[in-house]
Amino acid sequence: MGTEAMLGLTGKDFVILAADGQAAYSIIRLKNDADKIWKVGKMLFACSGPPADAGNFMEFIEKNVILNELRTGIPMSTKAAASFTRNELAHALRKGPFQTDLLVAGVDNDGPSLYFMDYLASSEKVNKAAHGYGAMFTLGLMDRYWKPNMEEAEAIDIIKKCIKELETRFIVELPNFKCKIVNKDGVKEVKL
Amino acid sequence: MVVAAIDMSFMEDPSRFCKSHFREDEEGDFEAEMRPEPLSFAMAPVANPKTFCLDMKKTGEAPGLMDFKKGTTTLGFVFQGGIIIAVDSRASMGSYIGSQTVKKVIEINDFLLGTMAGGAADCSFWERHLARLCRMHELREKERISVAAASKLLANIFWQYRGQGLSCGTMVAGWDKKGPSLYMVDDQGDRHKGNVFSVGSGSTFAYGVLDTGYRHDLTVEEAVELGRRSIYHATHRDGASGGVVRVYHVHEKGWTKVIGGEDVNKLHYMYAAEKGLRGDE
Amino acid sequence: MEAINLAGSTVGVLAEDGVILAGEKKTTSKLLDQAKQHEKLFQLDDTMFCAVAGITSDANILINRLRLTAQQHAYSFSEAMPVEQLVTSICDYKQGYTQFGGLRPFGVSFLVAGYDAHHGFQLYHTDPSGNFSGWKGYAIGVNNNTAMQIMRQDWKPGMKLQEALELTAKTLVKTMDTASPTAERLEFGIVYKTAEGQVKFRMLKDTEINKLMADAAPKEGEEGAASSST
Repeated sequence: MGTEAMLGLTGKDFVILAADGQAAYSIIRLKNDADKIWKVGKMLFACSGPPADAGNFMEFIEKNVILNELRTGIPMSTKAAASFTRNELAHALRKGPFQTDLLVAGVDNDGPSLYFMDYLASSEKVNKAAHGYGAMFTLGLMDRYWKPNMEEAEAIDIIKKCIKELETRFIVELPNFKCKIVNKDGVKEVKL
Repeated sequence: MVVAAIDMSFMEDPSRFCKSHFREDEEGDFEAEMRPEPLSFAMAPVANPKTFCLDMKKTGEAPGLMDFKKGTTTLGFVFQGGIIIAVDSRASMGSYIGSQTVKKVIEINDFLLGTMAGGAADCSFWERHLARLCRMHELREKERISVAAASKLLANIFWQYRGQGLSCGTMVAGWDKKGPSLYMVDDQGDRHKGNVFSVGSGSTFAYGVLDTGYRHDLTVEEAVELGRRSIYHATHRDGASGGVVRVYHVHEKGWTKVIGGEDVNKLHYMYAAEKGLRGDE
Repeated sequence: MEAINLAGSTVGVLAEDGVILAGEKKTTSKLLDQAKQHEKLFQLDDTMFCAVAGITSDANILINRLRLTAQQHAYSFSEAMPVEQLVTSICDYKQGYTQFGGLRPFGVSFLVAGYDAHHGFQLYHTDPSGNFSGWKGYAIGVNNNTAMQIMRQDWKPGMKLQEALELTAKTLVKTMDTASPTAERLEFGIVYKTAEGQVKFRMLKDTEINKLMADAAPKEGEEGAASSST
């Protein structure tokens, strides 16, 4: 578990993800405008862990998801992409290379879905999720304020509450949270 | 009878020909044969080559042999007039100063620079290798390689050798079609694009000076001075950094060496004098 | 190819709310005990099955592979494999055997029927070379030309499963060499939607097959019966 925070919530017809913008090397902050939320096909993947792992793994997944769509002519469902990703993590687990925690978000015909995945290749479909030390401070909040069929404004408000809490209680300052929403029309970035 | 001579190996894995699964999409050997040189090098002929150096050091058989040249301050930043790269020149082997005149900026080509921090041999070997790859790119594609691509080549190599003892923290700086760009690539396979980087044991000291003095609209003179000063302060606090300061400026027409080598000792007294001090307080 | 054209007549019909495969079992001997052995139709996945024509031993290998491929897909993606993807995969495999000297291609044609969320009910035909195509009605085995002709005339867009079953029975009656085919020589399988909207596969019971065939047989007063009474 790194000094990072990645948050995710499902809403009525969308999923919202937020992640901090920090890339660290040891105790040094290399970057504070990193983008840890990747657009893969019509889905969003938030990926934390050592930046090299995250980058390489996400590139691999992204390319395979696109390749699959080209070959079959059918876009991968979020469930299928999450399952594929989980499988790849499980394979990587015994070989060592990827230490990545993920949130997988997408909106399909049967509605929005959010998957929580850790580097040990567990995968769970959830309505609210968080990774990193940030999770310790925000999961309670999300449990408290999340409700089914939320509108975008309500979800953004919860994300803001979580970030506020991290600023007040977490001894590490996590800079520049990026927040993105995926719905059936595609992906958009939200200014917080 | 002829049938017996036919290579039936694909029976076991016909998808090699039909390519119906993800995993089998490995490149043929063609690419490997076309490479100008092999992309792997020999490992130490022991049971566990990954920890060879550590093991060797522990035995005490060859004192000093495994104390590699380490300890450095390098920095780079992007500003209005391009990129400034500044480095020190000390090579330390443990507590012993191996050299005070190391060239830690590797001139990849007229438009690309690499810096070295960490193992001197590792950095210099792989950056010279990178220079070769960049030249090959130019010959094949009839245009210069982008900084993004060059740094990715290096990052991919480091990723391949990850966890096998390479020790490199490098910056790749250059000017391409998109203008100036600066990347930080390290032995973990990390690769970051950014405006301000510092790498090496003295980097934390350099960052302090650099971050405080940095503005995007610095003039070239101000920028060179900021680079020089940041390195000087790092050499002052970090025992493993020292020697001379070298500063490069990357601009539209390539790079120029602005400071070929200025003794940090001289700088120390110069900066002290600016404050009205003698420098030995 | 000859084995395929000599195989028992096999018919597939696509309906709006289901898809049907039916085939004639060629019994070589009365002594052969085939009470529980399927010879024509094979389930591949929850909502996919196929009919075969050709060399049975070859077919067994391919069916095994089809089933395995479908399950591997389910393992990787937690979803049933789309029909077309499965057909494509087996055709890629078949094609591999046509490309190299010294190897014998699989002497098998399939009719593959199934359902997936992307394209609904589907019917495909594959040949030994690895070609495949989607159809609304198709026939392989003996008299496939006659069968195709009948289906070309009688297949209508928007057909319901029951009408399609009747068309299948009619086609079989006219192409099989026995005058009164019964359940012991036939296999019928369907993929259909239940009242609750679930998609399922099942084989028709003997009684159902017998009723279909009896209804489809030429009636008294029709051409066949009329000519015999004169």
